[in-house]
Amino acid sequence: MKPIGLKDLFVIFLKAGLAFGGGLGILAVLEEEFVTKRQALTREEFLTDYALGRIVPSGTMSALAADFGARFGGFPGSVIALTAMVLPAFTLSVSLSAAYVYLAGTPVLALLPLTILPAALAFIVAAALRLGRDITIPSVEALLAAAAFIGSLVFRISPALLLVGGGIVSMVILAFTERAENPA
Amino acid sequence: MNPLQVALTIMVLNILTFGNGPALVPLLEERFVTMEGILTVDQLLYAFAIARVMPGPANAYVASVGFFLNGLLGAALAMVAIQLPAYLMLPLLRLHERFSDVAGVKRFTRGLTATSVGLIFASTVSIGRNAITSLTAAIVFVLALVMAYLLKWNPLLSLALAALAGLALHAAAPSL
Repeated sequence: MKPIGLKDLFVIFLKAGLAFGGGLGILAVLEEEFVTKRQALTREEFLTDYALGRIVPSGTMSALAADFGARFGGFPGSVIALTAMVLPAFTLSVSLSAAYVYLAGTPVLALLPLTILPAALAFIVAAALRLGRDITIPSVEALLAAAAFIGSLVFRISPALLLVGGGIVSMVILAFTERAENPA
Repeated sequence: MNPLQVALTIMVLNILTFGNGPALVPLLEERFVTMEGILTVDQLLYAFAIARVMPGPANAYVASVGFFLNGLLGAALAMVAIQLPAYLMLPLLRLHERFSDVAGVKRFTRGLTATSVGLIFASTVSIGRNAITSLTAAIVFVLALVMAYLLKWNPLLSLALAALAGLALHAAAPSL
């Protein structure tokens, strides 16, 4: 195993940041680079860190970037890993947003509500459908999803409040039901 | 709101949704579009459209939101705001060596995910009221949904084809 320097970290995470497919696309690159190619981490270490990363409230891949960056390059390593990973998305976002501002008031922008914007809304619906695919009906989760839908749309309760409430309710109910299913 | 306030708000909302890109949309919508009135629904949808066809982390589109609100500085601060909580990973790794049972956290996360799903649907209904204002837009929406979700086509291809269909419809029947 060759040591991984700061330059390697930059290259690996830039590559990860260029991967399509969101988190899973990035995960595939990191697995390939750290586990398969360089054997710097065992599969078990990689999977444990991935599971822990899912708990971190920043996005799992950002947590892994901070983790692997710090592991192989200390604090500078973590900064380099995080920066390299978001660099492609950041550059693209800013340039395309600048184009939007630049085109404001032109006929091109008037076409957006008929083309890209409805498609974007469809992507959000698709994402919600995918996130909800594991939710069976009836279940605690289906109930929480329905309650959040109604609470937000009809009663205009703040999403933040609904999220924290949903988490706490689920923690309490699941603790009871799981105990009933698997008595100690 | 100044760039720092925006970044701080984004950081809190991103933490609440565990860095999940789509789950963040309803919170950004309620905060910046409905409450503050400093971002338009069109800008938010545009930012999200970019995110779907872009490489990299799913929540990186907040850079666009930051840009619309406060220019390049806003974009950079928004990006830092969503990356900073990643450092919680380091103490968590140390904690994990001592406590490997995280059942309570798992149950909390399950509730969070379920609530997010309900919230995203609620948000698409309220965004849709403002965004789908013509028959052409509705057709483009359905086309994109079929391509992206049912047929599981690549987002870039789905976006391009749906947008082209919108252009063609508009050219053929501008009054729709």
